[in-house]
Amino acid sequence: MRRPLLGAAGLLVVMALLEALPRAGLVDGRFLPPFGTTARALGAQLATGGFWTVLGQTARGWALGLALAMVAGVVAGMVIGSVPVLRAATASTIEFLRPIPSVALIPLVVLVYGSRPESALVLVVYAAFWQVLIQVLYGAADVDPVVRDTARSYRFSRWGTLRTVVWPTVLPYAATGFRLAAAVALILEITAELVIGVPGLGHAIGVAQSSGAVAETYALVIVVGLIGVVVNLSARAVERRVLRWHTSVRRDL
Amino acid sequence: MTTVLSVDALAKTYRSPGRTVEAVRDLTFDIGRGEFVCVVGPSGAGKTTLLRCIAGLMPGTGGSIHLDGTAVTAPPAGMAVVFQEYGRSLFPWLTVRRNVELPLAEKGVPRPARRARVDEALDAVGLSDSGNAHPWQLSGGMQQRVAIARAIAYEPSVLLMDEPFAAVDAQTRAELEDLIRALWHRLGITVLFVTHDIDESVYLGQRVLVLSRSPTEILADLPIDLPAARDQLTTRASPRFTALRAQVYTLIQRAKAGER
Repeated sequence: MRRPLLGAAGLLVVMALLEALPRAGLVDGRFLPPFGTTARALGAQLATGGFWTVLGQTARGWALGLALAMVAGVVAGMVIGSVPVLRAATASTIEFLRPIPSVALIPLVVLVYGSRPESALVLVVYAAFWQVLIQVLYGAADVDPVVRDTARSYRFSRWGTLRTVVWPTVLPYAATGFRLAAAVALILEITAELVIGVPGLGHAIGVAQSSGAVAETYALVIVVGLIGVVVNLSARAVERRVLRWHTSVRRDL
Repeated sequence: MTTVLSVDALAKTYRSPGRTVEAVRDLTFDIGRGEFVCVVGPSGAGKTTLLRCIAGLMPGTGGSIHLDGTAVTAPPAGMAVVFQEYGRSLFPWLTVRRNVELPLAEKGVPRPARRARVDEALDAVGLSDSGNAHPWQLSGGMQQRVAIARAIAYEPSVLLMDEPFAAVDAQTRAELEDLIRALWHRLGITVLFVTHDIDESVYLGQRVLVLSRSPTEILADLPIDLPAARDQLTTRASPRFTALRAQVYTLIQRAKAGER
């Protein structure tokens, strides 16, 4: 009970500071309007249909990219992770491709797709995929040797072992991968919209900024932050349900 | 008595670059259907190596193993293993029932038959009421009972047990010993029980195989002529038990000293 209260108190302090600093003249109100002004701008935004359209575009691009990255990452990770030869053969390639920042691909996707949603999708999938893949690979390597022996001695089929032994072991890792990927996917979606002009919240932020609507710009940035919070909270809720048997979640023992 | 498991001149040498360890030199023994055989040896006698070879989890480097007349090259269908590390051998993401049921599902036993066998097995180990719990909600002794239930539900020709009671407290251990004796008696299963505990091997077995120090051979094959009905108090206090115990103890000491 104390933790959410303290969290709310911290948030209030930040809001009060944002209100007080420009009012006291410590920062220029033209670049940082008082919080009240930003909040009003946010309220006005919520009332327009255009806002909900761009929000939907961002959410759709993010969710689709994340879903593709999850499926690809989990499948690739399970297959690579459970075949030692594949794992050894792909390790250096993965270590090479993984650190390439997704934004470095912007010129490439602009060339191919211009400012269509596909541009953002490619960036989101590329960035989020590695987050999931790496976690799932760790998970697949973490199957307890005694559990593995148990499955072998009861003659589980290859598919049975994947489904009933490897997958449950991977699940907590995949959940972590999902949370990391969700955040990265949001960053890339907004970046693509802002830099390339793919329709969505990022694009709207760019437009607001270039037309001097400072309060609207801040309001939209706050919306992006809120999306991040909601995504993280729901991911944790799902995790707690699915992983109630796992040591990180369960209460007894 | 028909032979169910036959181990013939089994040898195992671990080879890695620059290092060769001869763990098992020559093991030969037969186990008849329905027998309860204990394997005991000094620590480092290659008990685990022997068990993993018999279970088909690891190939030997010499000799052969036959179960029901078929050579063992991979985990055979007619074998179930109860591991020492019960806490890690059970799947924490499944309930007790599902843990017992899963190997049967993998074996292709139809659902209604599966349910009946799970019920029977859980009842036999006294866990009828804990089917819907998760293994980690149970005590160590109860977890090992689940692993035993899983093994007997599988209806193996041979039940292999790898120091199964080494990690539970003394009272639970006595209970589990009586449980496994009772199950063996009632179900007529064949048990190969590996242990480092001399008393346990004499109390449980009809025969005790004493292993030499590594590289392992069989030092003695000792029949345990105690009456079939055993209990913790009278059996362990009987002069015959004490004599047999002393005999195995002496053999282990000689094994430690390097006799083979």
